[in-house]
Amino acid sequence: MFKASRRNFFAHKGRLALSLIAVVLSVAFVTGTLMFTSTITKTFDRLFATTASDVAVTPKSDKDALPGSPEQTVPASVLDTVKALPGVQAAYGDVSTERLAVVGPDNKAISNATGGPTIGGNWYLTPHPSVDLTSGRAPAGPGDVVVDADTAAKKHLAVGSQLRIVTDTQAGSFPVTVSGIATFRTTNPGASIFYFDTETAQTKLLGKPGVFSGVDLDAKPGTADDTLKAEVSGKLGAGYDVKTRAEQEADGRNAVGFIGFMKYVMLGFAGISLLVGAFLIINTFQMLVAQRTRELGLLRALGASRRQVNRSVRFEALLLGVIGATLGIATGAGLAYALIAIMNKVGLNLAASDMQVTVSSVVAGYAVGIVVTLLAAWIPARRAGRITPMAALREVGTPGDRRSSRIRNLIGLVVLAGGAAALVGGAAAGATGSGGSLLGLGVLVTLIGAILIGPLLAGLVIRVLGAWLPTVFGSIGTMAQRNALRNPRRTGATAAALMIGLSLVSGMAVVGSSLVTSATSEMDKTVGADYILTANGGLEITPEALAKARATPGLEHVTENRFLNATVSGTSGEGKMPFSASSPTMVQDFNVRTVAGSLNDVFTKGGIALPEAEAKSRHMTVGSVATVTFHGGSGPVQLPVLAVLRDDTVFNHGDGYVSLDTLGKTVPADKLPAVDLVFAKADKGKQDQAYQALKADMAPFPQITVKSQTDYKKLIHDQVSGVLNMVYGLLGLAIVVAILGVVNTLALSVVERTREIGLIRAIGMSRRKTRRMIRLESVVIALFGATLGVGLGLAWGVAAQKVLSGIGISTLAIPVGTIVAVFIGAAVVGLLAALAPAFRASRMNVLRAIAADG
Amino acid sequence: MTTAAQAAVTNRAVGTAARAQAVSKLYGRDETAVTALDRVDVDIERGRFTAIMGPSGSGKSTLMHCLAGLDSVSSGKIWIYSRDGAASEVTAMKDKELTNLRRDRIGFIFQSFNLLPTLNAVENITLPMDIAGRKPNKAWLDRVIGTVGLESRLKHRPSELSGGQQQRVAVARALAGQPEIIFGDEPTGNLDSRSGAEVLGFLRRSVDELGQTFVMVTHDPTAAAYADRVLFLADGRIVDDMANPNADKVLDRMRQFDTHGHNRDDAAQH
Repeated sequence: MFKASRRNFFAHKGRLALSLIAVVLSVAFVTGTLMFTSTITKTFDRLFATTASDVAVTPKSDKDALPGSPEQTVPASVLDTVKALPGVQAAYGDVSTERLAVVGPDNKAISNATGGPTIGGNWYLTPHPSVDLTSGRAPAGPGDVVVDADTAAKKHLAVGSQLRIVTDTQAGSFPVTVSGIATFRTTNPGASIFYFDTETAQTKLLGKPGVFSGVDLDAKPGTADDTLKAEVSGKLGAGYDVKTRAEQEADGRNAVGFIGFMKYVMLGFAGISLLVGAFLIINTFQMLVAQRTRELGLLRALGASRRQVNRSVRFEALLLGVIGATLGIATGAGLAYALIAIMNKVGLNLAASDMQVTVSSVVAGYAVGIVVTLLAAWIPARRAGRITPMAALREVGTPGDRRSSRIRNLIGLVVLAGGAAALVGGAAAGATGSGGSLLGLGVLVTLIGAILIGPLLAGLVIRVLGAWLPTVFGSIGTMAQRNALRNPRRTGATAAALMIGLSLVSGMAVVGSSLVTSATSEMDKTVGADYILTANGGLEITPEALAKARATPGLEHVTENRFLNATVSGTSGEGKMPFSASSPTMVQDFNVRTVAGSLNDVFTKGGIALPEAEAKSRHMTVGSVATVTFHGGSGPVQLPVLAVLRDDTVFNHGDGYVSLDTLGKTVPADKLPAVDLVFAKADKGKQDQAYQALKADMAPFPQITVKSQTDYKKLIHDQVSGVLNMVYGLLGLAIVVAILGVVNTLALSVVERTREIGLIRAIGMSRRKTRRMIRLESVVIALFGATLGVGLGLAWGVAAQKVLSGIGISTLAIPVGTIVAVFIGAAVVGLLAALAPAFRASRMNVLRAIAADG
Repeated sequence: MTTAAQAAVTNRAVGTAARAQAVSKLYGRDETAVTALDRVDVDIERGRFTAIMGPSGSGKSTLMHCLAGLDSVSSGKIWIYSRDGAASEVTAMKDKELTNLRRDRIGFIFQSFNLLPTLNAVENITLPMDIAGRKPNKAWLDRVIGTVGLESRLKHRPSELSGGQQQRVAVARALAGQPEIIFGDEPTGNLDSRSGAEVLGFLRRSVDELGQTFVMVTHDPTAAAYADRVLFLADGRIVDDMANPNADKVLDRMRQFDTHGHNRDDAAQH
């Protein structure tokens, strides 16, 4: 029995080829993602294993700190205290900070990887270093620096290279010379590391002599890390974080949590393409079963039970799954290898030799490939089991045309209506409360509903879409349209596969273009500043840079903005919220829209402004007095609420406002957060000169970017299109699988209609017209899929925009260009998908085609 | 066909292999209903070769399908008797029992051979046992293969065999499982007269030498002449029952259908 199904499998391997490709692609994406991310994780794990010490002492971590908050240090006395402890073999004072920029002679930042951190540290010797000095000498004075070998190689640095270090301490910028190159003992994924002598690192990087970022301890042989940790904690008290090696490694892993996020995003897209692939497999097996009705009937007549027939089909699916998964896992390894190579090109430093072909990724590949194939073949296998032995006796031509089932349509309509209600409910609820979850539910449920009523819609939509075909193409058009309609279930499933990818594309496009349009129009309405200065990386806008900006000729004023958390309590309700602390000129640069009161009062009278949601949750209005504890402040202060702000803003969404003067009264200068955002306005008529001058003045500070309003709008646009393009790229896989599905359906239906095509060829249809007929059918199916996808996507996008309007995406923008592109793309996909099947149909031998049996 | 062989069969003490009692079969409903079988009563004798004849639409194929448990009846009962005389009611069987019946007790030969294209000749022959998960009886299998003369063709795929050879494979497949009854649906309908005669010869020998029970639907008087008994059907009823037929007698009987104004066309099926 299995012999028969195995033979069948290999006899029909051509018909299964496209299903196989779908399985291979999806499995490859899953395993590739897993292998790639576990390679990255492994690389980081190895790195953390070499950098971690037995026990480390660091300043108490501060959950309320924002990125610009002043850096915490431990005094050198801690080093002396712990050195004396009995369990300590050795102790090292360690400096490690990201608050620096390293600049080359061309004013460009020296960094190993795009987005990788730049770390400044102190050079000291331990018996178990993470780096080895491979050329030059250790740093010996304020002018020396040792660079890691990867960065040196990438930026062509050698001993003697001249660099400039930018800090946010009193040291400002200072020149250094590369005195040596240090090589990591494991792969360094992407950090650029610069080692200074300890005194320079302390005074210039941390800004104070006699402090460290932390203290690293080696335990005496025989002293467990946990024992030492207890000993150290007991001595130092609660003011410090003391962590064992295992805890440090765990912290490191958390710090690179983006890998996990990336993994789930990629697996999500793999899941979408798997879903699409499942449609392809369902269609393939439905058609194979239909074509083999007589053969399966024979097996039944010869005494095979329903279960045996059912199992024989599932066995074929199992073979498909196993072979597909095996090839997919191999392809996935190749994909992971390629991703590593790409990552190396764009910056992340990974060694291909570290590639992790983990057991779990192989198991996941097989599980996913086999389970999905078996599930997809479930219904066709059941149908095969229901074939009666009488089928063996019938003269089988083409399998009967199938109507869509009434029950399925009814269920589909109900589900779709439910999903639509959830979308409408979500849109009505807005960003607050249940809006987001209703939206998610609505998206999922309408998708299922649309899949269910696909066959019903096929009948309606294709009649409308294809109405022009008979008039333009005559009888060819009529046949193409009727062929697309003759099996609505199959057409529905084929189009649904295409619909899934396209609905996500159009939904995302609506949200993206609404975001850009809303942000741009909000900028026009609210931003008065001519220039916007922002900082990237660990270093914010340093005092040195700020002073330079203030001195730039042609600028009327420069507004500094610092961000910090504060605990705010009103008459009732208490909670943490972020604040923007700004110069008084803020009101000219940024027209924050208020519900009540005036933002200007915040700067003239000394009080705070709260966003409406924060004010409401604390039952406060203009005139209420709030008790505010700013991060780093000496204690709670009483401040009046002078303005309540609108919530629907894209920029500084959710921030409260306070003037720098007010903040300065409660937070000492050395506890103030760094300047994160600077607005500047030019003198009247000097916009161009001032812009050039400001750019030139900021050039030595590569962490700072200067944008005009136009630049900034373009930046928003570019960032949104960047994200969208990435999503489209990831959806590309699902769309490719869906295209394979269209090819598959056409190819199999050409085989199924061999007789019929032979007949129309015999009565005089040319090859060219035969090809055209198949192509038209294909285009109609593809356009049907696009119609469903765009329809669904628009509904999702509009609902999402309504939900997000509460947080500032207030303008709905339909990306007409993208939608037109989707339709044109679908028509092209239809034409391409029909190439091979149409060729095959036109090449059929007329006589053989008529004689063909089943 | 030698009269001696026929005499041997007729003289042998025979029992009943299958029985239909008041079997009716209706297709469709209400006004559009078509009566394919109209209260048919028939006994099929064990160890004999029975032919069922009749004009197109007479219900002859339907009768055979119902006897074989391939098709359901609208009313009436059908029994299959085992060699020791135990009766099993086919019309009361559920799908699982029907499957077992077809698997273990019944063989089929189809007009269009119905071999699996992906299996070779011997694999096709042993397919029913393969399905049942039984080992073929080697001696019996060799004997069957020898009888149909396929020794040199066992590793060939159906596409490499002629029509006559393919049908011989199908005959061997039916015989190999030693079923109680073999049903043939126009087994020579797709063969030329020589191959047809060959196949019918094998079937005749299987009845004479192996004691096989064989029921065949045909519209060909020459084929019917190989049988021990011919049942004639018209409009869903048995209208005649002829023992020891020959081609001329059968042809004469068939002609009467024409003179009685029944529609007779020469279509290959039914």
